[in-house]
Amino acid sequence: MTKMRSDRLKIVFMLCLAFVTTGGQHFESKVAQLLQDETEDIKCFVEGKDLTCFWEEEEEKNNLHDQYTFTYSYENKNKMPCAVSSLSLLASNKTIFFCKLSKPPFFATLNVQVLRDGRMLYSRSLNAENFLFLDPPRNLTVLSSGKEGQLNVSWLPPPLKYMDDSMIYEVRYAVEGSNMGKVEVIKVSTMLVLLGLQSDTRYKVWVRVKPDGVSYKGYWSAWTEPVFGVTPPSDMDPLIVLLVLFIGLILCLLSLTVFLSQHKFLLKKLWPDIPTPEHKFPGLFTVYKGDFKEWMSQNNGSMWGRSVHVYTEELASPLEVLSEVSLTSHGTSQREERKPPEEEEEKESERSDSGLTDRWREPPQAHWLMEQLKALQENPESRSQSSLLQSHDTYVTLNQGDNERQADDVFEETLPLQTLFTTAGTSSLSTSRSDLGSLQQSSGSGRLSSQSSFEYPNHTWPPKGPGYAYMAVADSGVSMDYSPMSSSRIAELGRHRMYTNDYKNEIFPHKWPFSGQYIKSGSESCAGPVW
Amino acid sequence: MQTFSGLVSVLMVFVWLGGNQVSPLRPICDLRVLDHFVREARDSEVIMRGCRGGCGVMKPYLVPLTSVDFAVWEHIDVHGQAVEVWIGLSLLDQALSNAMKTVSNSPLANALDNNISNIHSLGHILHSLDLQARSTVLPDDSAPASTQTQEVSSLSELLQVQSSFLRGKVRLLLSAAPACQRQNS
Repeated sequence: MTKMRSDRLKIVFMLCLAFVTTGGQHFESKVAQLLQDETEDIKCFVEGKDLTCFWEEEEEKNNLHDQYTFTYSYENKNKMPCAVSSLSLLASNKTIFFCKLSKPPFFATLNVQVLRDGRMLYSRSLNAENFLFLDPPRNLTVLSSGKEGQLNVSWLPPPLKYMDDSMIYEVRYAVEGSNMGKVEVIKVSTMLVLLGLQSDTRYKVWVRVKPDGVSYKGYWSAWTEPVFGVTPPSDMDPLIVLLVLFIGLILCLLSLTVFLSQHKFLLKKLWPDIPTPEHKFPGLFTVYKGDFKEWMSQNNGSMWGRSVHVYTEELASPLEVLSEVSLTSHGTSQREERKPPEEEEEKESERSDSGLTDRWREPPQAHWLMEQLKALQENPESRSQSSLLQSHDTYVTLNQGDNERQADDVFEETLPLQTLFTTAGTSSLSTSRSDLGSLQQSSGSGRLSSQSSFEYPNHTWPPKGPGYAYMAVADSGVSMDYSPMSSSRIAELGRHRMYTNDYKNEIFPHKWPFSGQYIKSGSESCAGPVW
Repeated sequence: MQTFSGLVSVLMVFVWLGGNQVSPLRPICDLRVLDHFVREARDSEVIMRGCRGGCGVMKPYLVPLTSVDFAVWEHIDVHGQAVEVWIGLSLLDQALSNAMKTVSNSPLANALDNNISNIHSLGHILHSLDLQARSTVLPDDSAPASTQTQEVSSLSELLQVQSSFLRGKVRLLLSAAPACQRQNS
């Protein structure tokens, strides 16, 4: 029992000490604030129900507190004394003297005086209800309201009777770490909803209180300790969602419209049709089910004729034949014999684009060629030479020289044409005699084809070196007229070597310049040097 | 402000006309009405401080005591408080009327007129709260100043007393009126 009583006393004592300490802290802070703000000599404030009036220690003298006398009176009453105390402020290193009136009269004019050594030092008349210095609000709470950009702030008023409905509050809030804050003023109510805040942001909130000034007046209290609150993250604005959906819908409609209007073009680009040669072979896949033999047999005659025209007209490839052989006179020396043909060939080549039938020489030239071909036929080595040449398969030269030179000619023929042709008067010559001969042979029978073989391509021919003749030969490809120039036929022609060269239907317009480049030519046999 | 006082007066007239009827008066518990009267009393003080000529004469006025000791006040019952308030309002009404007779400054005269109307309205409010004084005997001027009265010598002091009285005792009484407590609960 005794122990319980002592424990209770201890608790009460601790509470009182805490209260006094807290009040003391508040008291000193209030004094410090009024020392800065209040201009009166006697500074008074009401804390709770007590009125405190204080003044600063004079600097000249080191006064003792007992030299001061504080008196007050009101409503015709006699002056009443008040005990003076001193306080040293640690923060500002100042000393003050103060008097605390316990439960002074409100709503009445108080007359206070400070006397020092019997002489009036300071005096003042005031109404106590006009100098309330309240404590800060209590239990400040900041909570998220759940709505975007809002915080709920609530607090408790200072414990003062009769004054609950006469208070005004000021709420200050700022983003954590920022010095820029906003202030909201609210009357009587002890809760506030902060609006227009940034989403998902941490805020600091302070509150202070003051009498509203109607019945009671006073000073702003100190700010509470800051309390933090975090605003909820922002939700997607429904308007933005709607706009995004609307724009997406429009884009889809646009793309659909474009696709529908251009679907053929797009399909062609994305899935191009695989080209088929069906249009070139009418009936091959439809009637003959892809049986080419059957199709060929059925369409042989007409197709060949047509194909000749087709190939002669469409697949013509220029064939340049370089020849040193003169075609004007066959009775002269080899060189001499060669030169005129070259000259003639040059002339022929130069006056190319006009009529083709007039280009060929008179029978003496043809007769000379026939003799050359016979000579070649008599020479059994021509075959091997032709075979050798065929193995090179890059160019065709007609060698009018001796048999002895065949081997040399072969090597010479393997050399670039430039080297070959720079040796004047050499036996290794590229002629077009065989070609001419073949053409001459076929001139009677197939003049048309020979003519067509002399179709010059439309491109310009670069100038050749002096003494070298060249002749462009349009490679007709499939041409029966050239069949006499097969290797077997050449063997019949005689002693002179006839170099045959299988050429393909290839048009190499860019290789016509005299660059010494060899080109492959012809699937069909064609006698004659080619580039 | 005059319009507001006029409206309240009209309301009170109707209340008075129907005062004897069975149905009780509707209590006026909103203290903002009193706050309005307090502001007008303060305005008179301001006008008085700025008055230059025709601001009345120096004469004694019998006015109520305005000081409130909360410890003592809480021990007085509501009816006792009501009597004290009722007497004080009557004293102020007399003093202001006497002072207005000596004032030639029109702003000040108008302000004093408002104050007198407000005091009449407060009487009606107390009546609505059933706090009218049962006894209407006022102390006369010849009697020495009772503990409930005091004497002032100027219009400035008179206006200051009026302001203090309204803010203090009248407000405490209205805020503690039983009719308003029953309404809030």
